Amino acid sequence: MRTPVPRRVLRAVAPIALLAVVLAACGAEEEAVPEPDDAEDASVEEDAADTEDADANADADAESDTGDDAAAAPENTVTVYTGRHYGIEPVFESFTEATGIEVRFTTGSDPELRERLLAEGENTPADVVMTADAANIALSSEAGLLAALDSEVLSDTIPEELRAEDGTWYALSRRIRVIQYSEERLDTPPTTYAELGDPEYDGRLCLRPSTHPYTQSLVAALIRNEGAEEAERIVASWVANDPIYINSDTDMLRAIEAGDCDVALANSYYLGRLKAEDPDFPVAISWTEQDSVGAHTNISAAAVTAAAPNPEAGQQLLEWLASDGLKEFSDVNFEYPAATDVEPAEVLVGFGAFEPDHASVRELGALNAESVDLLAEVGYE
Amino acid sequence: MTTLTRLRALPGWAATIAITAVVAAPILVLGASVLDPSVEVWVRLWETRLPRMIRETVLLLGLVLGGALLLGTGLAWLVAAHRFPGRRVLGWLLVTPLAVPGYVAGFVWLDTLSGPLGIRAVRSLWVGAFALVLTLYPYVYLFARAAFRDVGTNALDAARTLGHGPVSTFLRVALPMARPALAAGGALVAMEVLTDIGTVRLFNIGTLADGVLRVWFGTGDRQAAAELATALLVAAVVLIASERLLRRGASFTTGGTTRPLVPQPMAPRQAGIALAVVLTVLVVAVGVPLLRLLDWVGEVGTEVATVAGGLGHHVRSTVVVAGAASVTSLVAGSVLALSVRRRGSAGRLLGRVSSLGYAMPGPVVAVGVVITLAALDRVLPLPPGSVLVGSTLGLVFALVVRYLAVGYQGVDAGLDRVPPETVDSARVLGSGPTRTALTVELPQARYAVLAAAALLAIDTIKELPITLLLRPFGVDTLAVWVWQATSESLWAQAALPSLAMVAVGMAAVGGLLVALERGAEVRS
Repeated sequence: MRTPVPRRVLRAVAPIALLAVVLAACGAEEEAVPEPDDAEDASVEEDAADTEDADANADADAESDTGDDAAAAPENTVTVYTGRHYGIEPVFESFTEATGIEVRFTTGSDPELRERLLAEGENTPADVVMTADAANIALSSEAGLLAALDSEVLSDTIPEELRAEDGTWYALSRRIRVIQYSEERLDTPPTTYAELGDPEYDGRLCLRPSTHPYTQSLVAALIRNEGAEEAERIVASWVANDPIYINSDTDMLRAIEAGDCDVALANSYYLGRLKAEDPDFPVAISWTEQDSVGAHTNISAAAVTAAAPNPEAGQQLLEWLASDGLKEFSDVNFEYPAATDVEPAEVLVGFGAFEPDHASVRELGALNAESVDLLAEVGYE
Repeated sequence: MTTLTRLRALPGWAATIAITAVVAAPILVLGASVLDPSVEVWVRLWETRLPRMIRETVLLLGLVLGGALLLGTGLAWLVAAHRFPGRRVLGWLLVTPLAVPGYVAGFVWLDTLSGPLGIRAVRSLWVGAFALVLTLYPYVYLFARAAFRDVGTNALDAARTLGHGPVSTFLRVALPMARPALAAGGALVAMEVLTDIGTVRLFNIGTLADGVLRVWFGTGDRQAAAELATALLVAAVVLIASERLLRRGASFTTGGTTRPLVPQPMAPRQAGIALAVVLTVLVVAVGVPLLRLLDWVGEVGTEVATVAGGLGHHVRSTVVVAGAASVTSLVAGSVLALSVRRRGSAGRLLGRVSSLGYAMPGPVVAVGVVITLAALDRVLPLPPGSVLVGSTLGLVFALVVRYLAVGYQGVDAGLDRVPPETVDSARVLGSGPTRTALTVELPQARYAVLAAAALLAIDTIKELPITLLLRPFGVDTLAVWVWQATSESLWAQAALPSLAMVAVGMAAVGGLLVALERGAEVRS
């Protein structure tokens, strides 16, 4: 107690600090040496013929780059903020293989990434932003965060209703949010969103909480298609059925399997994933609103940012994703390709044909605030 | 005071003000919105979700605080005052749930209880509170155990001689004397509950912290979210004030020489019960989560399709980020604690302002930091292409904003135990303030400093929302990996990184235990 030994404390702390520094150095070093460029073959020229930079990029030697931190990205790298993270990595790897352009990306929820983009403004390192939802990309566009593209590849492959009027964003794949039900316990499933409010489904409903963009966009589409008053009545009738709120589409479907609920509103690709694991999974899709507006359609969207440091590479990524990469991008998550002439994954073909509600997609962003308000109003959790 | 001493005080003031200003800026940037409240939004909130937010926040806080106090104090008394087989080892093991993040315990129990309870019942405030109690009670346990040890044998012997039975001795002597420690442990638990996002989201609990995110990311209304966040801040201030109140008048000493508490032997039957209680807690809080995680890892193996870089990369990122944030918070916290002590009540106030981040949910801190750093990026003459947002520096800064309080309070508590006479004699003998700090104060408080470092590491290892939003490219921590899997309800795929996180956390808990053990030896 008598002999205060600061050295002892130092000795305890120093190794930790040293370790941190050493590890940091290792990390930086590792990132500074990108994978050897094995894509420098003829196919690069072919795929990227429309962008001259790409040729130069493919030839440029990546090894001299220092690619750590938020420092400027190396020339032949495209930087992506993506709200969609499930299975995105192999798709980016394919892009690198095809073009020689490295992809570095960071994930987060759509709105969080939008806030980050908003705060960074001119200084953003992001070239491309990808969302899992139509509203968030439209709101980013409204905030002036996205660049208008003039690309024949994009306007030729993506249907008009699935891209921004001003060319600031493009759908890559479609996510259809429909009624899914227990084949064992329901003979005649509901076929409209309004029917879910029927007292018949009291205590048998699984819904996703209102915090999630999927719920917000679905209700936004209801507001557009049915009018605000009717939409409020419909959503209130769901709430009156005392639904179980589960913040995961997969879990809702598992809840149907386990018998905790009989009907859920979920994106079709979640059933695709579960059916791919177990073809006998006892849940089926009821294609919703087929006699009226079509099943609610949301999108995985992508855009080049207004302040992109490397907009050419960004546009190249979008164009590749919309064309050569579209099938892989969609299939990896069992989504429907935005280009309607591209065949969806096999398990989706098994779900049958349906009429999608494409007409609402562009308006989901503008109606988002009203939707959030409505959900709070009727006490949707 | 002479002019000379006043001048001497300047660097101290400068340090205090500088640290406070830098750390509080991101919070104050958001707080500024309160000056111009949007009445409309509040009316709307009051009509819709706000009553429920308040109700659920209060209920959850009450349940978790009550549960953690009961469990933590009970176990601490059992271990501190009684002798039963395995007491020493089990006493330490009872701290290990700290290494299990609430959201990991949460998803393990969510899945485990879904079968027997049904999916509707399991997603409830009650089960959420259960998961939080299991991971947070060690805060109370640690403080309570140290306090019981300090109560000493004398006071308890006196009580027994005066005819008090064991229960009465505990309730009328030990418990009141341990009150300040229980308040301190309880305050930590309360802060964790108020700012929790991961666990409450798993169980659909609509707390205020959840509400801030709802408003912000649901409507994009930064202003309204910031105002709601200040409501959270008010709740935290009320809690801290009541903790001070509980501590007041609690500076009792036992007088004379205190012998530390000697554990009493128990009858075999009672010893058996004690052992069973402790083992049950350990099995529920650590055993079941570990077994389930191991089971899942066995199921999916190490092949995880969605994650790059593998386990090594994630462990390294976690250690680097948590290490850098902990060391920085500790150094800044020490400087602050040392200089604040010499600055009177104004200094104390600044110390408290610097702790604001600890009362804020992670995402709020993250966005405050993004706004601040982005503004700096615009005005600072940085080399072209480099920005603070999304840099390692920015991430570490945000973590320091959030957790500085842990370093500051921890070191401050240690300095409280350094006898003022020792410091005074050093100063009288001509040692300057910096030298006194380095050669007298910090060395004497070294175990408190080490304990603060360990607590910082435990917090930063499991931190998620800030890391998620601010991490640089190529820096993916274990918590981020867990999130990527759990946000898709892929529990099995979250198992490997969860296990790794618990392992890294256990190392920090080990450091904490060593610090506390040595610290106790030094005192006795």
